[in-house]
Amino acid sequence: MPQRPRTARSDGRLTYAAMLSPAIVLLSIFVFVPVALVLYGSLFRFGLTSAEWTFVGLSNYVRAMGDGVFWIALRNNIIIVVGSIVLQVGFGTLLAAVLDRGITVGNTVLRTIIFAPMVISSVAVGLIWLIILDPNVGPLVSLVKAMGLTPPRLGFLGDPSISIWVVLGIASWQYTGFMMVLILAGLQAVPKELYQAAALDGATGLRAFWHITLPAIRNILIVAVLITTVGGFKVFDLIFVTTGGGPANATQVLSTWIYFQAFNLGNTGYADAISVILLAIAVLLGWAQLKSSRRA
Amino acid sequence: MNTRRLNATTLVLYGFVGLMSLIVLLPVIYMIMAAFKTRTSMFVSPLALPESLSFETFERAWGVGVGGFMVNSLLVTFLSVVVIVIVSGMAAYALSQMRGWVGQAIYLMIVAGFAIPVQAVLVPVFQIMSGAGLLNSRLALVLPYAAYGIPFTVILFYAFFLDFPKELEEAARLDGCSRFQAFVRVILPLSGPAIASAAIFQSVFIWNEFILALLVLTRRGLKTLPVGILDLQGEFTSDWPAVLAGLTLATLPLLILFVLAQKYFVRSLAGLGK
Repeated sequence: MPQRPRTARSDGRLTYAAMLSPAIVLLSIFVFVPVALVLYGSLFRFGLTSAEWTFVGLSNYVRAMGDGVFWIALRNNIIIVVGSIVLQVGFGTLLAAVLDRGITVGNTVLRTIIFAPMVISSVAVGLIWLIILDPNVGPLVSLVKAMGLTPPRLGFLGDPSISIWVVLGIASWQYTGFMMVLILAGLQAVPKELYQAAALDGATGLRAFWHITLPAIRNILIVAVLITTVGGFKVFDLIFVTTGGGPANATQVLSTWIYFQAFNLGNTGYADAISVILLAIAVLLGWAQLKSSRRA
Repeated sequence: MNTRRLNATTLVLYGFVGLMSLIVLLPVIYMIMAAFKTRTSMFVSPLALPESLSFETFERAWGVGVGGFMVNSLLVTFLSVVVIVIVSGMAAYALSQMRGWVGQAIYLMIVAGFAIPVQAVLVPVFQIMSGAGLLNSRLALVLPYAAYGIPFTVILFYAFFLDFPKELEEAARLDGCSRFQAFVRVILPLSGPAIASAAIFQSVFIWNEFILALLVLTRRGLKTLPVGILDLQGEFTSDWPAVLAGLTLATLPLLILFVLAQKYFVRSLAGLGK
């Protein structure tokens, strides 16, 4: 073994520090400093480009508590989260189970088709559905009429009582395949002997799914639920493109409300306060995700 | 096993998966089909097939600059992914070699970055970009895209490097390589699968990223596809066939790429569950 120079240890530290620094610099500028700025800014009243900052204490947070649209937005985020868990994780699990053990011919083709919307941008997805659901030219309205039913008078996205559910449907159209693939990867890791042993005990089909499959993929289901939950709180593109938060703020979510407050109405400090609330939710969920993956 | 048993259960299962595939396929088919229709037939008979196969709507949509948006998206995605892979690779390698609490603390800090959504820091990110005079520049996308791609990629690479046989790196060091040289000449060339997986994963997200692009790009010449195609709607008020033609032009290339390489896409994106 060659003689190591005396400085080898400190030289190693220097190399590693140099290799780490670009990542730390980028993360600091675009992630950590913004977090500090959003916390700081939430205590002030200021405009996006104005140099005049007025300290207002916690009044931006008080304002949020009294802002009806803030609560609508939070409620809509929760609708999207819970609805997505039911639709995307639910149907994703069923589809994955069928593709894993239920059918044997055409699996790859079917999987490819159902997963495909994941690679389309949500802006394109939103625009396609905007046209499909259009009250004048949309094929869905004609289809509903042809079936002898009455479509909503203001269109599917224009009716405030159903619009958020329609958005949920579009989001699920895009992401159910992603959940299916995620869960399928977990299913394929389940040892086949488990099913054989269960079959000897008389558990096949649905009973095998309930007693063998679901417990075996418990951890991946938790991850799927957490990813969906985080995604549901981050949703922006689809709503911005399809409804812009309307009609009459019926489909606002936290991210769109932050955007409008900051960039359309100039209530930048207030937007920062809502951002802090969204941030707290995200960090809490991230922590849950970390804990669940440690256990896995 | 039971491939030849076509019983009622199998039929129901095929019916279920087939119906789901149809629900996914129909909007995409509609997009392509209706792009060939005329404005009049869109209004008069929304369900009818197009009367002729004219590419005139596609020419009009292309005229808005779909080609340019595509080039911008390619450039931004490529540059961001290159930065992400290099920066995360170096960081993850250093972390995998470091012993003690400093490395642990830095790793935890980077993982914490994974939890922070860009939606919650829109205002400060905009302020930083605007303060640095970077609005309407490609750098204003590449740098934050790189930053937000780092945490997940570091986690991925870190796990990969930990499994790496230590003997390889030691052998390289004995041959006179410095730590950095060992990383570049020995570790990186053997990390193909991890790099490919990270690159595909980040490409899909960056190619489709919307909210930052919406904030920092207002000049049409720089717009990426997601913000660019939004212009189609404004450009062609109620000219839906042209909008759909533009959407077809914008989405079909990636869809075709996905179908050709679906195995790699699926493997890479399913990695999020690990």
